[in-house]
Amino acid sequence: MTTLLGSSLPRPDALGKVTGDARYPGDLVRPGMLQLKVVFAGRPHARIVAIETSAALAYPGVVAVLTAGDVPYNAYGLIDADQPVLCGDVVRFEGDKVALVVAESQEIAAAAAKLVAITYENLPAVTDPRAALAPDAPLVHQHHGSNVLGYVPIRKGDTAHGLAEADIVLEGEFSTSWQEHAFLQPEAGIAFVDDQGRLVVETAGQWLHEDRRQIAMLLNLPVEQVVIRYATIGGAFGGREDLSIQHLAALAAWKLRQPVAIVWSREESMIGHHKRHPISVRCRWGATNEGKITAVEAEVIADGGAYASTSIEVTKVAALFATGCYEVPNISVDGYAVYTNNIPAGAFRGFGAPQAQFASEIMVTRLAHALGIDPVELRRRNIYREGSIEPMQEPLPPGVSALPVLERCVTEAQARFQQAARRSDDHAPGTTTFGTNGITSHLRRGIGIACGIKNIGYSFGFPEQATATVELHGTGTVEHAHVRVGAAEVGQGTHLALGMIAAETIGLPLDKIVMITDDSSEAPNAGSASASRLTLMAGRAVQDAAVAALLAWADEERPAQATVQFRPPATTPLDPITTAGRPNYAYGYAAQAVEVEVNTLTGQVQVLRVISVHDVGKAINRQQVEGQIEGCVAQALGYALMEHFQMRDGHILTPHFSTYLLPTALDMPTEIVPVVLELADPQGPYGARGVAEMPLVPLAPAIAAAIHDAVGVWLTEQPMTPERVLMALGAQQTKIERPG
Amino acid sequence: MIEHGPHKTAITLEVNGLPQFVDVEPRRTLLDTLRIDLGLTGAKLVCNMGNCGACTVLVDGVAVYSCLTLAVECEGKAITTIEGLAQDGVLHPLQQAFVQHDALQCGFCTPGQVLAAHALLARNPQPTEAEVVAGMAGNLCRCGAYRGIIEAVLSAAQQTGPQQ
Repeated sequence: MTTLLGSSLPRPDALGKVTGDARYPGDLVRPGMLQLKVVFAGRPHARIVAIETSAALAYPGVVAVLTAGDVPYNAYGLIDADQPVLCGDVVRFEGDKVALVVAESQEIAAAAAKLVAITYENLPAVTDPRAALAPDAPLVHQHHGSNVLGYVPIRKGDTAHGLAEADIVLEGEFSTSWQEHAFLQPEAGIAFVDDQGRLVVETAGQWLHEDRRQIAMLLNLPVEQVVIRYATIGGAFGGREDLSIQHLAALAAWKLRQPVAIVWSREESMIGHHKRHPISVRCRWGATNEGKITAVEAEVIADGGAYASTSIEVTKVAALFATGCYEVPNISVDGYAVYTNNIPAGAFRGFGAPQAQFASEIMVTRLAHALGIDPVELRRRNIYREGSIEPMQEPLPPGVSALPVLERCVTEAQARFQQAARRSDDHAPGTTTFGTNGITSHLRRGIGIACGIKNIGYSFGFPEQATATVELHGTGTVEHAHVRVGAAEVGQGTHLALGMIAAETIGLPLDKIVMITDDSSEAPNAGSASASRLTLMAGRAVQDAAVAALLAWADEERPAQATVQFRPPATTPLDPITTAGRPNYAYGYAAQAVEVEVNTLTGQVQVLRVISVHDVGKAINRQQVEGQIEGCVAQALGYALMEHFQMRDGHILTPHFSTYLLPTALDMPTEIVPVVLELADPQGPYGARGVAEMPLVPLAPAIAAAIHDAVGVWLTEQPMTPERVLMALGAQQTKIERPG
Repeated sequence: MIEHGPHKTAITLEVNGLPQFVDVEPRRTLLDTLRIDLGLTGAKLVCNMGNCGACTVLVDGVAVYSCLTLAVECEGKAITTIEGLAQDGVLHPLQQAFVQHDALQCGFCTPGQVLAAHALLARNPQPTEAEVVAGMAGNLCRCGAYRGIIEAVLSAAQQTGPQQ
């Protein structure tokens, strides 16, 4: 065995990225290509009365104006094909697309797009998910019959019995806002017909073969006639799971038989792609004086926006994690994915788990306070262990590490936060601090802790597989290997991790591994870069294919080649009657402790320290695992405190980085301590699980607990902006001044 | 100040040490000129309003947001883009440090980060950590590789030592 695995080799794509040589989709665009401009609806709900394209077509330099009638099969979507490529009759959100202008330059396309005259008859819009559930609410999709996109019931035991058993019952209400992925590389790509008559789309995405399936479907083409190639991808975070521009460039290039390019501006990107779901949770938790949680009832409502995207799947995950990582004997959860005339919501790192556990983790800490039990101790008494029964009534998949992860987090926090407290003795955590002049300081410090759980891979019966091909070349001995695996490198480092797994398994140095990964006609389907799944799923496919190729090599096959499709244990679809089954085949477990400083004059919260503990099974590349943790903490911090994506009456109010604020280096904690545990997952290659999403799960509730520790108020709306902190402090003040 | 416009004007820019002659409208940004007219795609178009720093290039050694800078303002000035930093195939110490410290993930902000760091070290060759954090706060990294970026800049500062 080499010592390759676990080392911190630099990523092979770093050289191109520091020199500017890396080519992202927007860099492929060259003069001479036709340019595409989208005409957006710009209104939340309306009937299209007429579309007049003649003025745009007459504009010098315009080649074509495409509308609904130009789309061979005008419906698409990741799960349900409920979204028109171009709207012909009704528009259902501000970012709906009505026409495409193809012109000789971006400037001409933009000018002509303004000449596409569309007559609308506005329809009543429904932009609040609870209002959308009312029987007389305007329907977003008439033929669907209601605005309930999906209903997700989860039942275990008997909550009436469980609540009766409880010595204490607490109620809570929580809400989260949309989150924008804000990958810095805006959507872009080019499409052309190659010399073999294939439609080639060079772009960014998260799943080559799914992009291919959808584009082939809407153009009525066999999948083999469509080739998706990924350029260097400038971040994704779930935001490139749905098609955004890929199919538009493909449609125009196929129609016109000319190369067509598109690059979205930041505003177009903000309006054009889906967001993280705003989710509201109303819940009731019961526990005994001994600290056993007896029952949880919850209602989980997710604003899915105008189209399905992955809303039902996200809602299932949110409903499943309404009880966090705790074994609760009696559970009743009603989850609703709701159609509204807001921007569609879909995949975003964490996929429903952060919203659900913002509520559940705060409830557990509140229960602990009410019972007079240490919040860590209450967690210990209820946390998932090997063999614990999930909300869907079956045991967890083996490899449950929630408790060791929590214990390690507590140990690290005790050591580090006490050190920190000693270093600044006038700022001991959890205490009121005093300035030198003796008056109460406006800066208060507090600490908080929270746990998290997130599934790895697809859930609830969604077909899960990853395929890889390994070819071994050489004469006497294996000299080099080709690894074919269609896994999207979105910056997370998967190509390096998969290459390291191949090198380790074959026994070759890393530089003798050639990775073939970015062309749907050259690399087999490894599934999406999502659900923290590629290291486990694609990694296992690569490992198994390498082992099989070595056997073929031993049988004198030259070059020796093997293709392996890895399938994990099957999961089961949600049965709405029994609600029983096996939702997932693997989980990642996390715990975080944070220290914050709350400015009681401005409401600003500065996160000072974060300890982030994760069981990754096996760190294939330690530096990149730590990078994932730190990077995800940055995104979680933005989500918890700053990133306030807002809509009013179906219109986006925050379409720029000047109004939608992202964390800078100055907003980051002075210290992030990534702690990596390696408790092997039974499925994973060399025991590896995933880690990409898990740090996003506990951070917001840990910060909420720390704010509570510092100033005694609970924030239940996310993001916890200065305004909301001040409002909560004001409410507390009012309560003190006017008791009762 | 020379009067320009409204039509295209011929201007000369010194880009990465070489004179470049371009015909640009006065409204054309330096970023568009670099990316479209000169094919230097290292500087990135992200927000187009000076919020993110991904388009950062050096003009006479000073970091500017090229999306907020007009090409005609740069007539006769020396412009350095990320493509001009490595010399004869040898990476600049900052580029080396970014690779070594894993100061990037998707890499889209990296050219801007490296050039912002270059300008920072030019005006403050031995910055403290707090000075680096403040100096790099104009460049967003959505992948959140901030610790790596700060470490890379500090380590490059140590390597290059105090500049004359």
